[in-house]
Amino acid sequence: MDKKADDQPDGVSRRLFLKGAGAAAAAVSVVQIPVTGSDVATDEPTILGPGPVSIELKINGEVKEVEAPPSTTLLDLLRDHHQLTGAKRVCDRGSCGACTVLLDGDTVDSCSMLAIDAVGREITTVEGIGTPSNLSDLQQAFVDKDALQCGFCTPGMVVSCTALLQHDPKPDRDQIRKAIAGNICRCGTYQNIIEAVEHASRKGGK
Amino acid sequence: MAEEITIKVGFGDQFRELTVKLQDGDIAPWQPGEPLDVVGKSKPRLDAVAKVTGTAKYAHDQQPAGLIHGRILRSPHGNADIRSIDLAKARAMPGVRAALTIPQVFEDSSARYAGAEVAAIAADTEVQADAALRAIVVDYDVKEHCVTIDASMADDAPQVGRGDQKNVMRVSPRSRRRRRGGGGDNAEAEKQIQEQMARKEKEVDQILAASDSVVEGTFRTQVQTHAPLETHGAVCKWQDGRLMCWASTQATFGFRGEMTSNWGKVHAEECRVFSEYVGGGFGSKFSAGREGVIGALLSKEADAPVKMMLDRSGEQTSAGNRPDSLQKMRMGVNKDGSIQGLQIRSWGTPGTGTGGAGAHNDGIYNLGTIDKVEYGVRTNCGGAKAHRAPGWPQGSVALEQMMDMAASSIEGVDPIEFRKRNDDHPIRIAEYDIARDKIGWDTERVNDPASPLRTGVGIASNLWFSAGGGGSSALVRIARDGSVEVRNGAQDIGTGTRTVMGMVTAEEIGIPLEMVSTRIGDTNDPQGPMSGGSTTIGSLTPAARLAAHHAKKELLAVIADRKEWDVEDVDIRKGRVIRGDGSDAGLSFKEACALMDDDAIEVLKARPRRNYAGFSDTNAGVQAAEVEVNIETGVVMVKRVVAVADAGKLINPLTAESQVRGGVIQGVSFALHERRMMDRHKGKMLNDNLETYKILGSVDCPEIEVVLIDVYNGKSNTQVMGLGEPPIVATAAAVANAVANAIGTRVFEVPITPRRVLEALASSNKTPVSGHKKGARL
Repeated sequence: MDKKADDQPDGVSRRLFLKGAGAAAAAVSVVQIPVTGSDVATDEPTILGPGPVSIELKINGEVKEVEAPPSTTLLDLLRDHHQLTGAKRVCDRGSCGACTVLLDGDTVDSCSMLAIDAVGREITTVEGIGTPSNLSDLQQAFVDKDALQCGFCTPGMVVSCTALLQHDPKPDRDQIRKAIAGNICRCGTYQNIIEAVEHASRKGGK
Repeated sequence: MAEEITIKVGFGDQFRELTVKLQDGDIAPWQPGEPLDVVGKSKPRLDAVAKVTGTAKYAHDQQPAGLIHGRILRSPHGNADIRSIDLAKARAMPGVRAALTIPQVFEDSSARYAGAEVAAIAADTEVQADAALRAIVVDYDVKEHCVTIDASMADDAPQVGRGDQKNVMRVSPRSRRRRRGGGGDNAEAEKQIQEQMARKEKEVDQILAASDSVVEGTFRTQVQTHAPLETHGAVCKWQDGRLMCWASTQATFGFRGEMTSNWGKVHAEECRVFSEYVGGGFGSKFSAGREGVIGALLSKEADAPVKMMLDRSGEQTSAGNRPDSLQKMRMGVNKDGSIQGLQIRSWGTPGTGTGGAGAHNDGIYNLGTIDKVEYGVRTNCGGAKAHRAPGWPQGSVALEQMMDMAASSIEGVDPIEFRKRNDDHPIRIAEYDIARDKIGWDTERVNDPASPLRTGVGIASNLWFSAGGGGSSALVRIARDGSVEVRNGAQDIGTGTRTVMGMVTAEEIGIPLEMVSTRIGDTNDPQGPMSGGSTTIGSLTPAARLAAHHAKKELLAVIADRKEWDVEDVDIRKGRVIRGDGSDAGLSFKEACALMDDDAIEVLKARPRRNYAGFSDTNAGVQAAEVEVNIETGVVMVKRVVAVADAGKLINPLTAESQVRGGVIQGVSFALHERRMMDRHKGKMLNDNLETYKILGSVDCPEIEVVLIDVYNGKSNTQVMGLGEPPIVATAAAVANAVANAIGTRVFEVPITPRRVLEALASSNKTPVSGHKKGARL
């Protein structure tokens, strides 16, 4: 959790807004960052919404643009507009980690940030970490160590552990435990996940 | 003709011969020492790659074109009747495509708990559906509520149910007439049962009075929600009058039945259910539920696919839970360590549900004469559902602590020896010693007097019954291009069913697992079991093996015919055709398949209905836990759990071990953290989310050592038993006993929270072990 992007200086923070039914219904967001790469930031706040606006994001290395209301969370944008359904909506309030994606290499709960707050950042989802024909070493270790059961938490776990190995290629067991402390697994795969990360780490992989 | 064969059954070095009559064209079980190439080897699960890459599509991930969103309005009141619902304003809201009310669809105007379904909306977006829910006008007749069993059992408690429903109902023993479905003279039948109960009570009173020692305790366990990460629900779509449901379910065929049944609410003429991946169930997803029906009906009205998955709050309040329990027990033992008798009075709440709330607190050990009376207590809370070993973990928390208390009440008896003295399960007797050794039971644990940490160990037992049964079929297809497929329409909720089905098929045909593709989770495929009672694997794999056996037989006939070999002289092993002497026939499996005239061999076989007598009808299992308790803060850490488990013949040790670890982790979570918290004044669940409903996380997860015992039980041709439920039975009890061992006093209520530990220490006359100097403060 300590790797979460809460304290990024440039304004991406879960504290910036509280996502609630009321906020979603009002659907008027005030942002001070450019919505697409081509927009020019001014001193005046830009008022967007409630209708759809163009949102251009760099996802898994590709720049993609869709029309969506500015109140759309990053998770919903990834799932509903880009068909990247690896990240899951489980608790819908940043307490379970099933929606974890990487933002400039750091883990964030994509259910609890707006898509427009991710403009200009590098977004990596589980789909960008490896594909069925080209698994990352960590994903292969998850497969080999049976670090999954129902699999619903697994994409979030894979993303969190990938971030861990990028920051620290040789974590000890306690560091691994801490790295996935924000990811809940209901089936009980924690020990297998820890073993998988250790295994991938020993192989020097990511 | 039923063939009579002699097989070997047993485990370890305990084998005996057994004569069984094979039924329904069945084949003999694998025998000890028989060389197996796939079965018994650890294999990564076949769906692992899809799951680690995020490409596995769950119900939650389905996005058919034109998808709209369903949402459910829930009652905010602890107990109410719905006088009227006005949907007019909601229907006029932007994007709204369909609407319904619960009284209209389910003919139920009661909303007996906060969270009860009231109405539902489908709209183009979730935001529009939520906005429309807020525009629904409901007139409630709000009543008083009871949300705890204590409140509900009070003399002047408000009525939870309706009509003549009493808050407290005796569920066992039942009077004979009522059990037969009423009618006749209920009063007379009830009088008879009352007399029987009085006689039994007196008998056990006398047995206890004559026992050398009597121990007693009152135990409580909490309500635990299932909290699967994928919520309940489905994506429903109608096409040409046919219904398609991508469902998050533990029973694809049951779900379909609810959609098509005359007694259902949907009345689809045809329905196909898809459930390739399910994000957990743990017993809560046997029924389509109201959400399933609502999804289908909203989709029909809107003439568009509807995603009707519960939100997290709906999941936590209304989608199922393990009932709580209040168990009062008295046990009599003699100095020779034999249990003489047990008296049990227990209560539990199914909420407003009709499910059982019983605690299985007399199912393990020889307990002498038992006098047990059990009650269900209605409360204004979401209904209970079967939850991973329903009734067993809560019963175990009470029974296993009583076992330790009884052992310590007679001088010089070790808790493990005491259990062995009163246990005759052939497998468990062997498992005790393994657990004892692995946990270091006899190692002296020295606590540093300067530290507030106290360590302790505890032990408890499992029991389960899961050899499966009839009603499942499998289709095996061997194609001319060499591809092999095994199909069954049941689901894999994360247990590894798909993989073991493939492994059994590969083993029987004689090819590597990689050559078999498995299809599950589609009701157009052969009938399969629901994932309940840990019976899926035991029901499904014998059908798969039998179908594979006959498909292979047909292929061997083709090979023998083409090559002009004697069919008895041909076999397939490790993907190669071999001759009777074991030599390679110079033909690969793929080349052999190419000899077929037809496109494919397809064999559909059903599992024989009944199980054979076998070695043991039940799984056993023993778990030992080591804990560290901080006597200053009351915090309990489970450091280590040794889980000795058996489940008949092991097909895939890798996933079997995962199942056991998962059971242990949920058990530790039950022992220390999870509990549904109800606001007694407002009648609402306070922690209907995943941050204040505490589920064990990675940091608090113990190191788990699993020891698997391979048992040739002879009960079916694969001899497999399920392993979903057994490993959760003992864990919380083992933790509770370990805590008592660590701090020298007992916590009678789970979850064992820091507050309860400190209270137990404070009310204990004993000085905390090692006499920590700040102990007086406690």
